[in-house]
Amino acid sequence: MTGYSIISTCALTCYLLLFVAFLASKKTKLINSFIFLLAVLTTWTLGSFCMRCRFAPGLDFWFYISISSLFMLIYAYFVFIANYTDAPRSAFQYPVLGCSIAIIVINIVTKGVFIGAPKEVTEGDQISFVYNTDLKIIIPFIYTALVLVLYVVMIRNYVKKNLMAKQQLIPVITGVMALVLGNVLASFPMFASFPIDILSGIVNAICIMYALYSRKLFRLTLLVSKSVLYFVSGVLAILLIVGISGTTSVNLLKYLKVFGDQQILAAAIIYVLFALIFYFVLKKFVDHVFIKTELTQANDLKEFSTAITRTLKVDEIMSRLISIIETTVHTEKTYICLKDEHENCYRIMSSSSPLDGNALVIKADNPLITYLERYKDCILMEDLKRATVYKAMWDKEKQNLKMLNIQCILPLINENELVGLVLLSNKEKNVPYTINDQSYLQSLASVSSVAIKNSWLYEKVYREARTDNLTGLLNRKYFHEVLEETFNANPRGDLALIYISVDSFKLYNKLYGTVEGDKALQNIANIISASVGANGQVARYEGKTFMVILPGYDVLGAVKLADKIREQIMNLNSKDKEYSMKMLTASCGVCAIPTGAANPNQLISNVDLALYNAKRSGKNSTRSHSEGPALSVNGGQAGPGAETIPGVSDFSPRAFDQYEVAINSLTKAIDIKDHYTYGHCQNVCYYSTELSKAYGLDQNCVEIVREAALLHDIGKIGIDERILCKPDKLTDEEYAIMKRHVEQSIEIVKQLPSLSYVIPAIIGHHERFDGKGYPRGLKGEEIPLLARILCVADSFDAMISKRSYKKPMEIEYALNELENNSGTQFDPNLVKLFVKMVKDGDIQIRKSNNMDV
Amino acid sequence: MKLDLKLKQMNMEEIWDDYCGFLDLSMEDFMMIQNRLMEEQLELWSSCELGKTMLSTKTNHEIKTLDDFRRYFPLTTYEDYADVLLLKKGDMLPDDPIVWIQTTWEGGRHPIKLAPYSKSMLETYRNNVVACLLLATSKEKGHFNVNTGDTMLYGLAPLPYATGLLPLLLDEEITLSFLPPVKEAQEMSFSGRNKLGFKMGMKKGIDLFFAVGSVTYYISKSFSEMASKKSSSSSGKMNLSPMVVARYLKAKAVCKRENRELMPKDMFDLKGFMCAGTDNRCYKDDLEELWGIRPVEVFAGTEPGCMGCETWSRNGLYFFPDACFYEFIPFSELRKNMEDPEYKPSTCLIDEVTPGQMYELVISVLKGGAFMRYRVGDVYRCLGIGSNEDKTSLPRFEYVDRVPDVIDIAGFTRITENSINTVITLSGLETVSWFACKEFNEDNRPYMHLYVEIAAASIHTRALSTDLLRQLLSVHFKYLDNDYQDLKKILGIDPLEITILPSGTYAQYEKTGRPLPRKINPEAAEKLRFLEFCGLPYIAGNY
Repeated sequence: MTGYSIISTCALTCYLLLFVAFLASKKTKLINSFIFLLAVLTTWTLGSFCMRCRFAPGLDFWFYISISSLFMLIYAYFVFIANYTDAPRSAFQYPVLGCSIAIIVINIVTKGVFIGAPKEVTEGDQISFVYNTDLKIIIPFIYTALVLVLYVVMIRNYVKKNLMAKQQLIPVITGVMALVLGNVLASFPMFASFPIDILSGIVNAICIMYALYSRKLFRLTLLVSKSVLYFVSGVLAILLIVGISGTTSVNLLKYLKVFGDQQILAAAIIYVLFALIFYFVLKKFVDHVFIKTELTQANDLKEFSTAITRTLKVDEIMSRLISIIETTVHTEKTYICLKDEHENCYRIMSSSSPLDGNALVIKADNPLITYLERYKDCILMEDLKRATVYKAMWDKEKQNLKMLNIQCILPLINENELVGLVLLSNKEKNVPYTINDQSYLQSLASVSSVAIKNSWLYEKVYREARTDNLTGLLNRKYFHEVLEETFNANPRGDLALIYISVDSFKLYNKLYGTVEGDKALQNIANIISASVGANGQVARYEGKTFMVILPGYDVLGAVKLADKIREQIMNLNSKDKEYSMKMLTASCGVCAIPTGAANPNQLISNVDLALYNAKRSGKNSTRSHSEGPALSVNGGQAGPGAETIPGVSDFSPRAFDQYEVAINSLTKAIDIKDHYTYGHCQNVCYYSTELSKAYGLDQNCVEIVREAALLHDIGKIGIDERILCKPDKLTDEEYAIMKRHVEQSIEIVKQLPSLSYVIPAIIGHHERFDGKGYPRGLKGEEIPLLARILCVADSFDAMISKRSYKKPMEIEYALNELENNSGTQFDPNLVKLFVKMVKDGDIQIRKSNNMDV
Repeated sequence: MKLDLKLKQMNMEEIWDDYCGFLDLSMEDFMMIQNRLMEEQLELWSSCELGKTMLSTKTNHEIKTLDDFRRYFPLTTYEDYADVLLLKKGDMLPDDPIVWIQTTWEGGRHPIKLAPYSKSMLETYRNNVVACLLLATSKEKGHFNVNTGDTMLYGLAPLPYATGLLPLLLDEEITLSFLPPVKEAQEMSFSGRNKLGFKMGMKKGIDLFFAVGSVTYYISKSFSEMASKKSSSSSGKMNLSPMVVARYLKAKAVCKRENRELMPKDMFDLKGFMCAGTDNRCYKDDLEELWGIRPVEVFAGTEPGCMGCETWSRNGLYFFPDACFYEFIPFSELRKNMEDPEYKPSTCLIDEVTPGQMYELVISVLKGGAFMRYRVGDVYRCLGIGSNEDKTSLPRFEYVDRVPDVIDIAGFTRITENSINTVITLSGLETVSWFACKEFNEDNRPYMHLYVEIAAASIHTRALSTDLLRQLLSVHFKYLDNDYQDLKKILGIDPLEITILPSGTYAQYEKTGRPLPRKINPEAAEKLRFLEFCGLPYIAGNY
C-alpha cells in the first residue's frame, strides 16, 4: 500500500466520519456550510484517489471531478467563513459562486485551459502523473488570491467587532493556511508522488472541526455515536482492502499459484476474510472504548433496580444509590437529602462516608427546591448559577453548596413530589459531568425515588405504630410487646425494669401551661434515652410516666441508673432560662427478674408498687420492690436539690409565709407610688383567689394566684406618675410606655428568685385566648391556667373601677363584656364560672378608684 | 470565573445570560428574588445591633415577616443611621464592612454621609456593573462587544466616592486599560483627569466611556479645541502615531466639508458609552450627536450601589433584582408627606407600579446592607411594564429628578430650603419671601430659578439690580457649598437665575386666599397661578 493510498484513505475516512456525524447533528447555517465544505473536500479527495487508482471510467473523468471540487472549495470556504464571522449575507457570495462555476465550466469545456488532466508516466514500478501547465494557470491562482483577500477582510471585520472571537478564529485561519500551503507545495516536483494537498485537507478539516467545537456548536459524545462508528469502521475496512488490492494483489497471486485456476477465488476469499477480521477488530475496539461503559452502566442499573425493590430499608437503598453513583459516575462525594416533614426541610440522611458532615439543611422554601420541583431534572451547578433561582438564594445557602463542592444536583421525584435530592460533588480528577452522566443519573433517580418514597412511608408507619408522638420513645402498647420479647429471648437471664414518674407535673402544667409541660416531658425523655443508650429500651408509659427495660441488669445496677436519671431531671430547669422555673423531680420504682419477679406481668405490677412507695415517701427518690422501704444510692432521701430553690418544689403553706414579707413590701411600694393600682391589685387578688378555689385548684395553686395578683402590676412602680395618673386618654406613645409594665413587673419579680414561680401567671395575664395578646402571643391552653384566671379577674376589676378618664361600668355590662369576649380574649370555662359566681353572690363586688391598662 | 476567562472559554450567549439574564425574568420570578433576598436581609439586619436598636426605638410591634416589616417599620433617612455610620461602628452592622463610601450629605449643613459595603454587596455590585458594561455595548439582545484590553475613558470621581468602586470592581473581572490608570487618576484633579484621559485616548483610542452626563457634554463640546491644541502643539511630544495623525487630518477634512467643529465621533469609534448622574436626559441627544453612540444611563448611588441600567433600546431602565429591595412612594403620597411631615406615606412594590406615574424610591439594601426602607431622595417615572423591543416583561423606569424639596443641578448640587435661607442670611439681603425651582432653558439645560421679593425698606437703601443680586447670591452659594463651586469650575456654568418679584406681591397674593407656593419646587399649578398673578411668564420644571 502506497503512502498516497494511505493518506487518501485516511482523508476520505476522516471526511466521511465528519460528514455522516454532522448530517445527524442539529443544523444551523454554520453547520450546513461546514457540511457543504466537507462534501466538496470529499469529492476532491475521492476524485484524486480514484484518478490515482485509475478507476473506471478513466483518468480524465476523475481528474475533472477532483479539480472542479478544488475550484468549488474556494466558494465553499467562503460560505463557511462568512457564516463563521456572522456575515452570512456577504455581497460577494454570488460573485464568488459565479466565478468558481465559470472557472470549472471553462476548464471542463476547453478540456483543461487552466489545468488539464495529467499524463500517466511509468518509470519501472513507479507510476507518476505529470501535469502540463502554462501561464493560464495563473488565472485560477489570481482568483484564489482575491478570494483569500475577502477571507481576510471578513475575519478582520469580525475580530474588530468582537475580539473575543480571535482565539476561536485561530484554528480556522490555520486550516486555510494549511490548505493553501498544501496545494502550493503539491506543485513542487518533490511532492509528485506524495499527496501533500490531500494531507493538508485532513489538517484543514480537523482545524475547522476544532473551531466549531470550541464554539460549542456540537458535543463530541453526541457526534460520535455507536452507529456512526460502525458505519465508518465498515467503510474504512472496505477502503483499506481496495487500497491494498492495487499493489499487493500481484504479489499475493504469486503465492497463490498452488491453487492453480482457483487462485483468483482464493485471493478474493483472503481479501474478504481480511476485511471481516479488520471490521471485527475495529468493532471490538469501538465496543471497548464507547460501548463498554454503556453496557456496564446498564447492567449496574438493572442490578441496582432489582436490589432496591427487595428491601424496605431507606438506609440500605440510600447506601446502594451512593455506591452505584460512585462506581459508575465516579463522583468523589455523594450526599442524599430526604424530606423532613416535621421541620419542612431537606437534610442529609446519607453520604459517601460517615465522616462527611451532615449538617446541611435545605429549607423547603429554598428556591433550589422550587426549581427542582418545577423542572424535575438533573442540574449542573454551572447551569444553576445561571438560573433565576440562584439569584434568589441566600448567601449562606450558596455557601453551603460551595463548602461541599457540589457540582450536580439530582432530584428524587415521586408522583410530582420531591422526595429528596442527591448532591454530587466533583468527579474524580475533576472531569466534567457529561450529558451521558446526567441521563444515567436521571435513570437512577427515577428508579430509586419510588423505592425511597415507599420504604420511607413504610418506616414512618412502622415508627408511628410503635412510638409515642411527643417524645419519640416506644409507646405503651409496644412496650408490652418489647418486654415480652426481651423476656422470651432470655427467660433465665436478668431483666430489670425502672418505672419513672415526674413529680407534681399537674402543678407544673398549671404554672407554665401545657406547651412548657410538653417541652419538659421531651427533655426528660431525652435524658432517659441518653442515659440508657443501647443498654435497654425506653417507653412513655402514661402521660408523665416512663418505663425502662434493662436486659442483663440486676436491681443494684438499675437503681444506680435510676438515680443518675433523677439527678439529671433535677438539674433540668436550673439553667439557661429567662427566669428560674419550678424544679422538676422524679420518683423511680425498680424491680428485676429473677429477684423481684418471675415473669413480665409480675415485674410490671411490682415495679408499680415500688414507685408507689417512692411517691409516698416524699417523692424525688428511688425505691426497689425487693427490699421494701428504701434502697437508694442516695440513701433513699428526697434529693438535696429539692431544697436548693426554697419553696419552688415544696409548696407547703408554711413556706409561703416566708415570702409574705417580700410581697407586702412590694405592694406597699406600689401603694405609695399609685394608690389606685394598689387597690386594683387587692381586688384582683380577691377575685382570682375565689375563682381559683371554685375552679378546683389545690391550696398551693390558689396561693400562687393570690401572690401573682398582688404583684401583677408591680411594674407600674417604674412608670412616670404623670402617665399613671393622667386624667385624659393616653397618647400612643404613653400607651406604649404603659404597656411595658408587664415586662417591668417580671424584671422586678425576677430579682427575687423565691418568687419566680409567680412569673408565668404575671407574664401571661395580658395574653388573649385567641393568640392576639401580648407579650408572647400565646393562645388557648398555651397560656398558663393561672394567667388565664388572673386575666379574667384583672379585666373585670378594670371594667367596674373608676379611672381618671372613665366612669366605672355597670356590673351587668362588665359581665356581658366578659361573656362577649369569651373564647377570644378570655378562657370560656373560666368566664362561665366567674359570671355564675358573681351572679350567685359567691363573689362579692369590691369597688375602688383604680386604673389598669 | 472572571469575565476575562469567560470571554475565552464561553460563548456570547452564556456570558450574556450570566450577567444580563435578569432581563428575561418574569415579574413573578423577579418578585420571588426580591422577597427571598429581603427575607435574608431582614434576618441579618434584625439580629445586628443597628437593627435591634432601630426596631426597638421605631416600632412597638414584633417584626416576624416582611409584611410586618413594611407595615410597622417606618421609612428612614440618613439621620436615623448617622450616629452609627458616621462613627464607622462596623460591629453594629449586619455584615462586616469592607469599604466605607462617602458622599455629600446636604450642602453646607452636614458635611458627609458614609455608607458601608459588605463583601456580598460588593460581589453583587461587581456583577451588576459588568451587566451595565455589556448592555452599554449591546445593539441587540444577546450581543455585546467587550474585550480584554479595551480602553476606558473614566470621568468619574475616585474612591472614597461610590463611582471610585467601579474601576476597582471591573478590574477584578476584566483587564481594561483605564485612561488615565486608576492609581494615577486618584491623585489628580477632576479636569486634569479628564484632560489626561483624552490625551491618552488620542494615542490608544477609546473603546468605552463612563462619566457624568453633564460633565461629558461640556468636555466633549470643548473637544475640538483640545484636539487641535494637542495635535498642533505637541504631536511629537505625545508620540502620536502616523495613523492617528492621518485620522485627525481626515476628520478635519470631513468637518471642513460639512462645515462643523471636530467632534469626538470623528476621532473615536466608541463601543460603549455609559453615563450616570442627574439631568442626563438633557444631554443624551447632544452626546449621541457628539460621540455617534447614545449613552446608556446607569442608575447608582452611594447608599444603594448599582441599582439599574438601560438596555440596547435606551428606552428606560430596569432595576437589578438582587441589589436592593425596591418600594415606591406614589407621588400623591409624597406630596401629602411634604405638606405634613408627620404623615406616613404608603408604598407599593415594583409589581404594583402604574405606567406614567412618578414615584419616590425607597430601598432596603440587600446582602448585609445597613439601610432599610431608606428614602434615597430620587424620583422615578414608570415608563411601562415590559417592552416588545427589549423582549422583557419587567417595569421600565426613567429617572426624573431628586425629590421636589431638593434642587440638584447636573448632579452637582443639593440645594434645599435651608441652604437658600442660609445664603440669603449670609448675603445680608432683606427679603419678604421667596421660592426657588429647577427650570430648563431653551437648550434644555437645567438651572435654578429664584423668585424673590425684596423687603421694601432695602429697595431704597441698596443697589439691587438682578445681575448684582445674582452675583451676590452666587458668591455665597459657592462659599457655602463646594459642589456649587465645582459646577462653575468644572462645567463653567452659573446655574442661578433671579427674578425679583414686585414689591408687595406676597402680601397681595395672600389676600386672594390662595395658598402661597412652596419654597422649593412648588407644584406646576401652584407656580403657574402665582406667576400669572405677578404677570410673569411660566417656565416648566420637572414637577
